[in-house]
Amino acid sequence: MELSVVHWFASGILIISLILSRILFVLPFFRLNESHKQDEQNIPDETIRKKIESLTNNKPLNAFIFLGSGGHTGEMLRLLQNFNEILLKSGAILHIGYSDDQSYQKFQNLVKGKKDINVQYYHFVKAREVNAGLLQSLISITKTLITSLIHIITIKYKMINKPHLVLLNGPGTCCIIALWFKIIDILLFFTSSNIIYVESLARINTLSMTGKILYLFADQFVVQWEELIQVAPRAKYFGILV
Amino acid sequence: MKTIFVTCGATVPFPDLITSVLDKKFIDTAIKFGYNRLIAQIGNGYTETLLKNVSKLDTTNNYICPLTAEQLGCNEVACSFKLKANDFEFIAIAYSSKIEDIIRNHASLVISHAGTGSILDALKLTKRLIVCVNDKLMDNHQQQIADKFEDLGYIVACKATSASLMRGIDIIQTNTLQEFSTTRNTNFENLLIKTAYSNTTGLYK
Repeated sequence: MELSVVHWFASGILIISLILSRILFVLPFFRLNESHKQDEQNIPDETIRKKIESLTNNKPLNAFIFLGSGGHTGEMLRLLQNFNEILLKSGAILHIGYSDDQSYQKFQNLVKGKKDINVQYYHFVKAREVNAGLLQSLISITKTLITSLIHIITIKYKMINKPHLVLLNGPGTCCIIALWFKIIDILLFFTSSNIIYVESLARINTLSMTGKILYLFADQFVVQWEELIQVAPRAKYFGILV
Repeated sequence: MKTIFVTCGATVPFPDLITSVLDKKFIDTAIKFGYNRLIAQIGNGYTETLLKNVSKLDTTNNYICPLTAEQLGCNEVACSFKLKANDFEFIAIAYSSKIEDIIRNHASLVISHAGTGSILDALKLTKRLIVCVNDKLMDNHQQQIADKFEDLGYIVACKATSASLMRGIDIIQTNTLQEFSTTRNTNFENLLIKTAYSNTTGLYK
């Protein structure tokens, strides 16, 4: 009798510590800083571009990109345009999440001439409409959680074992998306979702609400003003990207 | 036509900006610097107020807007007229799906609200830009954004009053601003690729 209690207790502790260590492994806080960062700055642009070229030719990139609304969509579309040689390269497979039709239209305009990219669309329900009551909010948030989980599982399944990244910027729905991706990462032991978060250009001295939450989840956290490094030391700064 | 393009952004109307650019003193200053037309994107839900204000102005009777709604990227032109006193032309649209085309093809000077999207649109098309902060907005990073871009020397920032705009137009016509560079950012490209390719293939070390 006593022995089995000890057994249960021991295996309980083992499982909990396994889960904890997995969580620590998946979330970015305790990652070692990449020590080769210094050397990389000396590699000429030409060499890096050639490497990028050959990698993306060999295996096309899979990307999940979320478009929110208004200014967030604008920034994301400009980011796609500016880095189109990677993100909109022919052969690329894009999973586009959107929550309003305007963003959907704008994205379609952006890729109108490009026939070789494979685009799949996923509609995300907005977590909360303005002026919604408490009960309505609870219902709509639950709905968003469930529908987005189904989408994320689908997308994750399609991207697994292929070169992939998840590109997010400001909108609130991104928090839910990042949460699901990371929970799946914790449960499946052999994968990472490669979340890159780009903070809004409108943020100079403080992070946005989404930024503060995504700082905990994103594998790479990118800011567009150098001042933000003081608030978010793990962030990377490359200048204005949008 | 030497044209000023004014944009209030798509989200909220910016009545102070439109009122300021319709001010006689501002228009006189614009004419002094050779401008003879102003195209304004005024936002949704502001057309009626604008028409009311315009009815007080002394305009010619038979002005026909030279640009079609299609060219301006909207369903209909909200309002257009020519002032009797100085032949200054004014065209207003609520919303445009072709803002970049309008800026590229028509504008010599852009006066914009302090949204990052509008600022970047004008700078990337290498147009002179005055950024006007809407201080009636709550939760507002617009002032910071405008100050930052002004410190970097890309724009002239001002308030939504005709006096401040006149000062702005004076500064921007008599000074050379910093050119906004849009070079490729290899470091970010590298980050994208490293993140996407490292975990799955192990190739990118």
